Amino acid sequence: MVHILYIEDEKEIGNWVKEELIEKGYKVTWLLSGEGVEKYLSMADIVILDVMLPGLDGFSIGKRIKNEYQKLPILMLSARTAVEDKIEGLGFADDYVTKPFHPKELIARVEVLLRRFNKKDQIIELQHLTIDPQDFQIVNRETREEILLTGKQYAIFQYLFRHANQILTKEQIYESVWEEVYIENDKTLMVHIRYLREKLEKDPANPTIIETIRGIGYRLKE
Amino acid sequence: MKFFRSLLAKYMLIIITALFLFQFIIFLTATLLFNTGMAKERNENFMPTVIEDKWHEQASNLENDQKKINDFFARWKEQYPDSSMFWINEKGTLQLQLDLEENVPSNWTATTTARFIKERYDSDPFTVIAFVGKEEKEGFVVFEIPRDKLNKEFYEEYGDLLLGIGVIILILFIAISFLFFRSIQKRLIYVQEAMEIRDTDHLPVQIDVKKQDEIGQLELTFNKMVDELKKSKRREQEEEQLRRKLIANLSHDLRTPLTKLQANLSILQNEDQTEVGRQIIQVMEDSIQSVDGLMDNLISYTLLTASKYKYSPEKVDMIRFLRTSLASWYPLFEQEQFEVDIQLDSVKIGEWYVDPLWMERILDNLFQNVLRHAKSGRYIGVRIDTTSTYEVIVMTDHGKGMKHDSDEKGAGIGLSIVDVMIRGLDLEWELASTENGTTIQIKKHI
Repeated sequence: MVHILYIEDEKEIGNWVKEELIEKGYKVTWLLSGEGVEKYLSMADIVILDVMLPGLDGFSIGKRIKNEYQKLPILMLSARTAVEDKIEGLGFADDYVTKPFHPKELIARVEVLLRRFNKKDQIIELQHLTIDPQDFQIVNRETREEILLTGKQYAIFQYLFRHANQILTKEQIYESVWEEVYIENDKTLMVHIRYLREKLEKDPANPTIIETIRGIGYRLKE
Repeated sequence: MKFFRSLLAKYMLIIITALFLFQFIIFLTATLLFNTGMAKERNENFMPTVIEDKWHEQASNLENDQKKINDFFARWKEQYPDSSMFWINEKGTLQLQLDLEENVPSNWTATTTARFIKERYDSDPFTVIAFVGKEEKEGFVVFEIPRDKLNKEFYEEYGDLLLGIGVIILILFIAISFLFFRSIQKRLIYVQEAMEIRDTDHLPVQIDVKKQDEIGQLELTFNKMVDELKKSKRREQEEEQLRRKLIANLSHDLRTPLTKLQANLSILQNEDQTEVGRQIIQVMEDSIQSVDGLMDNLISYTLLTASKYKYSPEKVDMIRFLRTSLASWYPLFEQEQFEVDIQLDSVKIGEWYVDPLWMERILDNLFQNVLRHAKSGRYIGVRIDTTSTYEVIVMTDHGKGMKHDSDEKGAGIGLSIVDVMIRGLDLEWELASTENGTTIQIKKHI
């Protein structure tokens, strides 16, 4: 079960967010300030952190946490919307959500972070495929055959999978997988996606797993 | 400042010293030479003036007597071995001569005499002509002696030396003046260079004041100015800090109740609701979002118009930038069932020199506007284009146009921010709105 450490001093909001998160099946530890946060860090899968807190503020707490636990995602939740605050927050945190927010939005962002940091260990079913996030084994449930990908196909799929439901631009994917600068109108990525679809999609001509977002890039739809 | 510490005083001192030194050294040298050289080694009898006076005096005591004159010549010859003498008698005849080397005419007329005087005047040998006797009727005697056998006059002897000393003192004075002004120039250049050095806060640094003269005063004043600048900068930073804190607190204090409202609405939403209830909750949620957006815009607009909005431009690849921005907006358009028509591959545009945060804000406000006010068209088109003078981002929607009253108002401030920011980024924009939709063009001059 994913364990969320939530730090918020405003009781009404804290209670509501906690309830919403518990309802979605997360285990939640809610603290009213940063005091004693160290005890819970080793158990937490993600930290949701308010900025304006009594005592040490959220930015300072967040920086401390990130120093010790680089692989622990931090989501800042703040009523401070100034550009400077966002920049400071994103200097260490992995996402910055401003208040007021819709619970759906918060949960979607939490999910994205959990996926990105590989914090979800249960096997994921993606249409006719079963994916084990630990060893990244892909099995076609209908044929019970494992789908083997080449190095680049694997890297692309893994990147899309970690950012499932997010639209990724061609530049983002290319630069993350090839680790070099994307040159406009380069067809390499398109060709690799085509081969990837031939292996993954039931009907590669009408892809339903890797969606093309015309003019922008691609999205892996869960 | 004390006068004696000033550069003016220093230079006056140099000039006065030079003048006095000049006078003093010349005087000293002259006295020294006169007292040592002249008195000791020189015989007064070899002074031209002395010879002249003596010759005249003794000649005036002579008579027209050959023997006496012969004796007179002999006496003089004894004293001046290198001299020669002759006597022209009252008739103009060469009567007597002693050691004459040149040819002297035997008969003298007025012309001969005049020519002789003219020839000998101020030349070599030194010549003295004197009448015999007191009556000036008994002819004249001439005494000649090569000038090199005579004593030179003091200024003739030592004039060059004294001139040399004078010239040396003058050169020394010029050299000292030159060094003096060069040291001033060097210090001025140093001050200028020091004034151009910038600290980490982009302000000038203080200069090390070494002397208390005019330049030292200038440095002190400069240091005072730097100090004032630093103070003013600090004050500005404190104000900036205060302003940021105020806005952060204001933002926090306004948004917390909104979040509570949102929280309670969400809880309410989880209860069983009638259709009307659901609609009311939806309207309230939309209102929360709308107030949130307005607050954001209001703060931004206040900052922008007070030129307090952070601006740090850089080179931005516009196609990549648009694509990233669209990637974040796409799901929202998708949710509202918009047709999203993106054409960024047709032409190539260069990098734009803009602040990415400003550009992001412009695009966000424009997309937000389309989502809020052009929902009915269910279409958003984004493409890039180039003309010979412009690179253009074109945004099209099929809404009912800007003039049409949209369900949600408040577009004014959002577009005002877009306007201020676009002008701030040195870009231009055009807005064409009809009942069939709105086209916005953001243009950059090539």
